[in-house]
Amino acid sequence: MLNAIVPLVVDGLANAALIFFVAVGLTLVFSVLRILNVAHGSFYSIGAYVAATIGLWLVSSGLNPWLSFPALLLAAALVAALMGPLIERTLIHWTYGKGEAVQILVTFGLFLILEDLQRIVFGVRSIYADTPMALLGVSEIGGIIYLNYQLLLIGLAVVVLIGLRLFIRHTRYGKLISAVVEDREVSEALGINTRRIFMLAFTLGVFLAALGGALATPTTGVAPGLGAETMVLAFAVAAIAGLGQVEGAAVAAVIVGIARVLAIYYFPALDAVAPYLVMLAVLVIWPYGLFGSTSTRRI
Amino acid sequence: MMRSPFRSSIAQIGLAAAIALGTAASAQEAPSEFNIGVFTFTSGPAAAYGMPGRQGAELMIDMINEGGGIGGVPVRATYVDEAQGAEGVISEYRRLASDLDTQVMIAALSSSNCLALAPVADQIGMPTISWNCDTHQLFLEEELQYTFRPNGNTIPEFAAFAAYLMEVNPDAQRIAIINPDYAFGHDAGEIVKATLSAINPDVEIVAELYPSLGASSFQTEISRLSAARPDAIFSNLWGADLENFIRQAQPRGLFNQSQMILALGETVLESLGLPDGVIVGVLGDGWWNTPTARANELTVAFTEAYQDRYGEYPVFPTMKMANALLFMQQAVEDAIAEADGDWPSREQIAAAMEGRTFESLTGTVVLREDNDAVVDQVVGVSMQDEDLGFTGIGNMVRYPGEALMPPIGEDPIAWLGTLDAEWLDSLPKPGSYQ
Repeated sequence: MLNAIVPLVVDGLANAALIFFVAVGLTLVFSVLRILNVAHGSFYSIGAYVAATIGLWLVSSGLNPWLSFPALLLAAALVAALMGPLIERTLIHWTYGKGEAVQILVTFGLFLILEDLQRIVFGVRSIYADTPMALLGVSEIGGIIYLNYQLLLIGLAVVVLIGLRLFIRHTRYGKLISAVVEDREVSEALGINTRRIFMLAFTLGVFLAALGGALATPTTGVAPGLGAETMVLAFAVAAIAGLGQVEGAAVAAVIVGIARVLAIYYFPALDAVAPYLVMLAVLVIWPYGLFGSTSTRRI
Repeated sequence: MMRSPFRSSIAQIGLAAAIALGTAASAQEAPSEFNIGVFTFTSGPAAAYGMPGRQGAELMIDMINEGGGIGGVPVRATYVDEAQGAEGVISEYRRLASDLDTQVMIAALSSSNCLALAPVADQIGMPTISWNCDTHQLFLEEELQYTFRPNGNTIPEFAAFAAYLMEVNPDAQRIAIINPDYAFGHDAGEIVKATLSAINPDVEIVAELYPSLGASSFQTEISRLSAARPDAIFSNLWGADLENFIRQAQPRGLFNQSQMILALGETVLESLGLPDGVIVGVLGDGWWNTPTARANELTVAFTEAYQDRYGEYPVFPTMKMANALLFMQQAVEDAIAEADGDWPSREQIAAAMEGRTFESLTGTVVLREDNDAVVDQVVGVSMQDEDLGFTGIGNMVRYPGEALMPPIGEDPIAWLGTLDAEWLDSLPKPGSYQ
């Protein structure tokens, strides 16, 4: 019995970990900027491309292969620092206060531009940089061999969740973000620079998506289309949790991860639709998601 | 004085008729260029498979043109990316076909695109060569007049792997399948199951997975396959999906646990490498390094030129594309001869393609009356090749195409059900193709 359950849990959590990074960034941006950013998945794939490029460069340069671990973090930070403020200031801020249709059209346009840019810069063939995976080796759990890197991802997702919570609750900028989420107008009246908070929150969202992409590279090839695939799953997770829910995103990611694994193990024909069936079931019962509500918005 | 609208219309109709007559007349004169459309994937995960096809087309067209073109006319290709989806592909096909100087389409890679284009080809009257798509559904229902497939279909392609497995590992009973989630994957699953259970009724399918095409992670599927403890795992994943699957499954011990069968494994032998003993094939006879290919001067020249230009050896999609262009060249040249030296129409070119027997780069191909080809199937196992410096294919067998093709008009899956151990005994044995 244990042998049957353990792989389900390990696979479910490993699945959930990568989805969580993207979904939590999406939900964070929504709760602060009140924008559903369709281009969010592109930051995931750009993070993956940059991480793979740095990883391959490290290998070809003959540098210490263990440097490929901090390189994953560096890749996400680079993408966030270069693209976050630039895109928020030049494009996203024009959509503040506009209707959802305008916001979705603008961010969808951005998504198409970023997808084409990736093709131009990185080409159309898959790129692989699996040094971190190879360095960590494997473990046998419940009779199945797992990559230790998969287990590391689960741990990292927990670290990010806790780190995000501490940042929002216990740092000055975190509290400012909470204030803006609670009431934007009152925050402005109190002298909070909401413009800067918006930029910070958007950049943090880009960082989380890019981190998800960077952390995915050691186990997957990076190719055009990666962003769209991840984005759709992230939307499902955010919808299940209720947009704007950080801890909710973690719970929803685990639900989606487990649902997918159960489908693959017991109902393979439902593999692709399992996350969306869960989403449908949740939204029928709780139209604002498991943790969302009409009156309160919190992160 | 006002000009009569009636007179204006008459003039326009007259002008249109004159243009039409002029065009019809010039269709018999040799054009300055022989235009063709070439459809393949040049972006997205499928580009890993589609780009070698495009490169093969570029090289083969250059070789044809260096040899004087076709009937003295140089070939000029317009490439269309199939990643845009069936609607875009049909629209591009129609746009290219609207130019009367475009006389042949090499389309397409994807089976779904071939199925979508076949009725359009008949409607327009455009000779269309399915250079790669191999769904057996293509010629099953309709009698197609303008679609030709000199590359074989899924029935012999996948039945060959089942036969090979039963030869090298007759005790394999627990079988798992992991194929892409669309017609190509599901068809292959059905064919492998039908063939295996016909040869050995004790065969049990212990896991059957169809991950989405273009999926980046197969980790959960790999866990599921590990948990099922199959004797053999069959897969027709391809392109980036295949590369991802191999990269993820190999470190997790799947290749050691079960006999792996990668139907499209030849495409990654040089780029990625495989451990020894994986059953691989080329969905036909199109490996550049078979005894037949090595004995053909044109194939050797093509392979060397390809290696020089692209820095890698061709893979079987490259050979399929090159073979499709050779088929086109030979058919058009025959059509010119048939028309006493006049330039042939699309209809005349299509007529020349019907029922052809032609020497491809890798063997002899015979087109049946349903426009589908009888092609031999080469299967073997991955094996380190010191001469090549990367993984090659050893213990090869070349199954004769006619032994694996259901008769025209017969339900292919039902026909597979009639196969038995006696049929298996009648086939050449692994290692016999040297």
